[in-house]
Amino acid sequence: MPLDTSTYSLALLRLDGRRWNELRRLTAQMRTQASADGSAYLEMGNTKVICTVSGPSEGGAVRPGGGEEAVVGVDISIAGFSGVERKRRARNDKRVAEMQNTIATAFEGVIFTKLYPRSLITLSLHVLAQDGSLLAACINACTLALIDAGVPMKDYIAACTAGSTSSYSSNEEAADPLLDLNAAEEQELPFLTVATVGESDFVSVLVLETRVQVGRLEGMLAVGVDGCKQVRAILDGVVRTRGGKILEGSTV
Amino acid sequence: MTSLKRSLGSDPLASNISSKVYVRSTKSGKVQKIVRELYLRQDIPCSSKLCTACLKTAPRDAAGFLPPFVLSAAPAGTKKYKQGHYIIPDTNALLNALDLFETSAAFYDVIILQTVLEELRNRSLPLYNRLIGLTKSEDKRFYVFFNDFRLETYVVREKGESINDRNDRAVRRAVKWYDEHLIQAVKAAGGRKEKVPAVVMLSDDKENLRKAKKDGVEACSLKEYVGGLENAEKLLDMISVVQENREIKDAKTAELFYDEYYSVSKMGTGVKNGTLHQGIFNVSPYNYLEGSIKVPAFDKSLIVLGRENINRAVQGDVVVVEVLPKEQWKAPSTKIIEEENMNKDENADAEEGESVVTEKERRALQDEVKKVHSKTSEGRPQPTARVVGVIKRNWRQYVGHVDESSVSKSAKESRKQQTVFLIPMDKRIPKIRVRTRQAGEIVGKRVLVTIDSWDRDSRHPVGHFVRSLGDLETKGAETEALLLEYDVQYRPFPKAVLDCLPAEGHDWIVPPSTDDPGWKDRRDLRHLEICSIDPIGCQDIDDALHARPLPNGNYEVGVHIADVSHFVKPNNAMDAEASIRGTTVYLVDKRIDMLPMLLGTDLCSLKPYIERYAFSAIWEMTPDAEIVKSEFTKSVIKSREAFSYEQAQIRVDDKSQQDDLTTAIRTLLMLSKKFKQKRMDAGALSLSSPEVRVEMESETSDPIDIKTKKHLDTMSLVEEFMLLANTSVAAKIYEAFPQTAMLRRHGAPPKTNFEELANQLKTKRNLDLRMATSKELADSLDTCVDPKEPFFNTLVRIMATRCMMSAEYFCSGTQAYPEFRHYGLASEIYTHFTSPIRRYADLVAHRQLAAAIDYEPLHAAVRSKGKLEAVCKNINVRHRNAQQAGRASIEYYVGQALKGRIVEEEGFVMKVFSNGFVVFVPRFGIESLIRLRDLADVEPEGDFDPENWTLRTSGSREVKVELFGKVVVRISDVLEEGSGKRKVKLELVKTGGK
Repeated sequence: MPLDTSTYSLALLRLDGRRWNELRRLTAQMRTQASADGSAYLEMGNTKVICTVSGPSEGGAVRPGGGEEAVVGVDISIAGFSGVERKRRARNDKRVAEMQNTIATAFEGVIFTKLYPRSLITLSLHVLAQDGSLLAACINACTLALIDAGVPMKDYIAACTAGSTSSYSSNEEAADPLLDLNAAEEQELPFLTVATVGESDFVSVLVLETRVQVGRLEGMLAVGVDGCKQVRAILDGVVRTRGGKILEGSTV
Repeated sequence: MTSLKRSLGSDPLASNISSKVYVRSTKSGKVQKIVRELYLRQDIPCSSKLCTACLKTAPRDAAGFLPPFVLSAAPAGTKKYKQGHYIIPDTNALLNALDLFETSAAFYDVIILQTVLEELRNRSLPLYNRLIGLTKSEDKRFYVFFNDFRLETYVVREKGESINDRNDRAVRRAVKWYDEHLIQAVKAAGGRKEKVPAVVMLSDDKENLRKAKKDGVEACSLKEYVGGLENAEKLLDMISVVQENREIKDAKTAELFYDEYYSVSKMGTGVKNGTLHQGIFNVSPYNYLEGSIKVPAFDKSLIVLGRENINRAVQGDVVVVEVLPKEQWKAPSTKIIEEENMNKDENADAEEGESVVTEKERRALQDEVKKVHSKTSEGRPQPTARVVGVIKRNWRQYVGHVDESSVSKSAKESRKQQTVFLIPMDKRIPKIRVRTRQAGEIVGKRVLVTIDSWDRDSRHPVGHFVRSLGDLETKGAETEALLLEYDVQYRPFPKAVLDCLPAEGHDWIVPPSTDDPGWKDRRDLRHLEICSIDPIGCQDIDDALHARPLPNGNYEVGVHIADVSHFVKPNNAMDAEASIRGTTVYLVDKRIDMLPMLLGTDLCSLKPYIERYAFSAIWEMTPDAEIVKSEFTKSVIKSREAFSYEQAQIRVDDKSQQDDLTTAIRTLLMLSKKFKQKRMDAGALSLSSPEVRVEMESETSDPIDIKTKKHLDTMSLVEEFMLLANTSVAAKIYEAFPQTAMLRRHGAPPKTNFEELANQLKTKRNLDLRMATSKELADSLDTCVDPKEPFFNTLVRIMATRCMMSAEYFCSGTQAYPEFRHYGLASEIYTHFTSPIRRYADLVAHRQLAAAIDYEPLHAAVRSKGKLEAVCKNINVRHRNAQQAGRASIEYYVGQALKGRIVEEEGFVMKVFSNGFVVFVPRFGIESLIRLRDLADVEPEGDFDPENWTLRTSGSREVKVELFGKVVVRISDVLEEGSGKRKVKLELVKTGGK
């Protein structure tokens, strides 16, 4: 039994040795699957996600109100070996469905869907390993894959999680907000997932499923939005490196 | 195709990232592999005030606050380390001697490594919690250094290296780093090299010490280190003997006394498939060689007989047992066996040549078996079992005294280390072998010890001496012993708690202006004729009452409870302290408060003639005591008078008194009788426990007399309305918070509990005890009367009370509604609401009720089920301990009051054994054992008839002792050798009445 989150106050160090405002190592690659229209592989700490984009293609269920805009479909499959316990998720898992819906809605807001009437953009996400901040990792991977596919959009959507060092019912007055939680922290502490558009403070996704005292929310959100900007800078770096290589002609 | 493998190598930060992989198995037996990232860094400060470099890079929290550096710039020196030193203990040093680290005499400036902290947590959670407590105390200067997160001190486990070796290496690396770091720091600051404090690793592991020497790391064994301190002798005793013992034992192949425990996995599977059973081990108060374990698989508890079968289990341990074959099943013992009489002259130092079971013990037990065999047809055998493993030790610190006979005469003067026996006050705890150098000094003192271990090769558990409380039989030492024994927090309130009190202190008053925020949503009830009725000399007045007729012929009745929740806000230091204390403890000469005096006896207390905040429950009821309407509100009241029960009773009885207040009390009395009747009709039990009061001389507070408590009508008046308030509040908070209401339940006792008593009544008095429902039990208890002996009914009630379950606090979400029932009160739902000054549960109920009536939002801490469950668990324990401490205190003072006196009194036989019987003396509320050998100088022969509970003696003295029989006893006092307590001693004068 290693230490738990209660030791944070001893030296202001988290379970994995980070400070309150530090992201985990975030690396990503684009065009990992040559056969897809666009693809990306992203790691946030030990959370690993592959995203492939197909489309915009014809078809797609025409929504009520006419098919003026493209529809974004998201499909997440979580590998049985991705978690600590080996288990298969049911096809119609509610949590996964909610994540799919959240991602679809977020990207419909930034993609210029009007350019592709009656068409469908499908994002397939494969979760290879889970270690916290899953939704955030999925959103970031989607951003990169969509850019790789060349789908026109307003700006990046960058996401991360933010939490608080003190659990809901304990009343330490001085609770530090935390950035980018791993699985162990997510289990013990309240946290939210936030995503912003580009460099602005425009929040496009905000998910909070745990109970947290209202007083701590503002700090968590501020740290989360700040984290999103750091994430955006990293994603931008990945895109630019990739762009540079294409210009050099070294890759396709 | 692209390869995805490169990501780590191309990362500039890669050298700082490592990962920790470990395997764990879950409760269900699955094996999980956990991979965790580790971010290694260089900004973890050394926290020494000598170092300026670390101060620059030290991290700040989100508010920009920099935690101050802990380790002193000029740490204390010892003989060996004159320049001063910092201590880095390794895990076994902490495991063996955490007591040492807690003393105020030495051990300052200690660095606790993360590696050590983690290891300690794995080994012992209580020790870990104590250590965390130490790191938080400012004056001890303990600093936790996260060495596994610092790049320079992180150590990778090598191939083939055991985890322990890796951890030891990590500790040595950290010590070395500290050493070098401090030299650099001092150099940078321009100091001289001689000024650099030494960094000393403390370890009890020889291998670790040897390797440290090889690496050039300053290291020392605990013993060696303590030997170099000033008050070495006192401190040396506190080192656990485990380590040394093992070394000695290894030298000579030790004889093994006990069977080996099963492996954890074997016990786990055994319990799961039902071949083994798990439960809490309880030792019989009359026979230290007999334990019982209640397991779900058997109706009757399993009996564990004899030292070999008990197999090193100690009272309170969670153990796993194996049921013995049916031929070996026995009836519970009918004989008294006490350890101090059995093994009186044992030599604590001798180890060889002993067998586990001494000859005497063996004989005592064999007698037993024979007796049972002869009557197997009727002997009601109970399943027996033997302990095969211990899941969790429940060892705490024990109070006791040194067995004088185990101290060798020559050693009394010299300071030679020797082994002595310590006899705990609690008879159910075996004597403890302790090594000490202070044997001469601690003889005749109350001392505190800890058990360290109990190995297979040792007949008795091995422990070490913690501190001395003072001479035996002095008031201070005995009271402290009592408080320690029942784990009552008796230290003065810390400053943090006192800071939570209102700044005005005793001058605090209810704000005169009703616009004050304190008046928000408070009803002004100052015009009501409210009074309080309490025992004489009561200072913490929790409750007050009023009643007045309404124009429609009904009555308005109000119960007003001190508004403690106004002063004690959730989750501040005072609340935390109160929740730990759980309850106020009443001893004969002392009260240990749950809340600071200022609140308990002044600001919250509903004193007469002053305005006070209250929480009121107000009902409208018909003259037949039917409730028409009930409401709850925060209020301001002004009590007109504080009565004692006696004063109130006199006033009620005095026909000439016709003022409003007296009429109100008469109304209340009338209504309370109706409530009581209703309760009785519903099947409430009226139980009894021997209650006496010790009268003290006011000046010297020496006990002078003992009085049994008298019952007055006004007592049940108050009681009825408190019950009413509690039940109404329980229903209200349950309605508002079905998951998290703080309630109190009293389970129906299992039938088997009453079997023996019913049997005894049937055979001895031809009385039927039915117990299908509480109503039946109440009715049949009423029929248990002996026309010749008025006390008989009370005796039966006292015995019935002991068969009951104890009531407990719980959080409503953890039980189904039918389980909420309070069996004794025959109430569907119940809580404690009426004594928030002295019970924490009531305070929680107050907060919940305040939220239920929308007075204030419910604080998160009272809303979380997990938190509440923890609170309930704690206050249940505290409540029980407080009761026991109170009883023990009375017992002690009864002994003191009878000191030097000899009285003859009537008593009743409550229990009969084959070699003795228990007599209860109602006049003093004492019960005590009379052994056969006490009857005459030469022990008479006893003939015990277990079917009829009759003991007939022949030989030197002929008497016939019967269960429930009346006897006359001579009461005197003796100093009990076993526990060092002054106890009353009963001698049989004759059977039958006076």
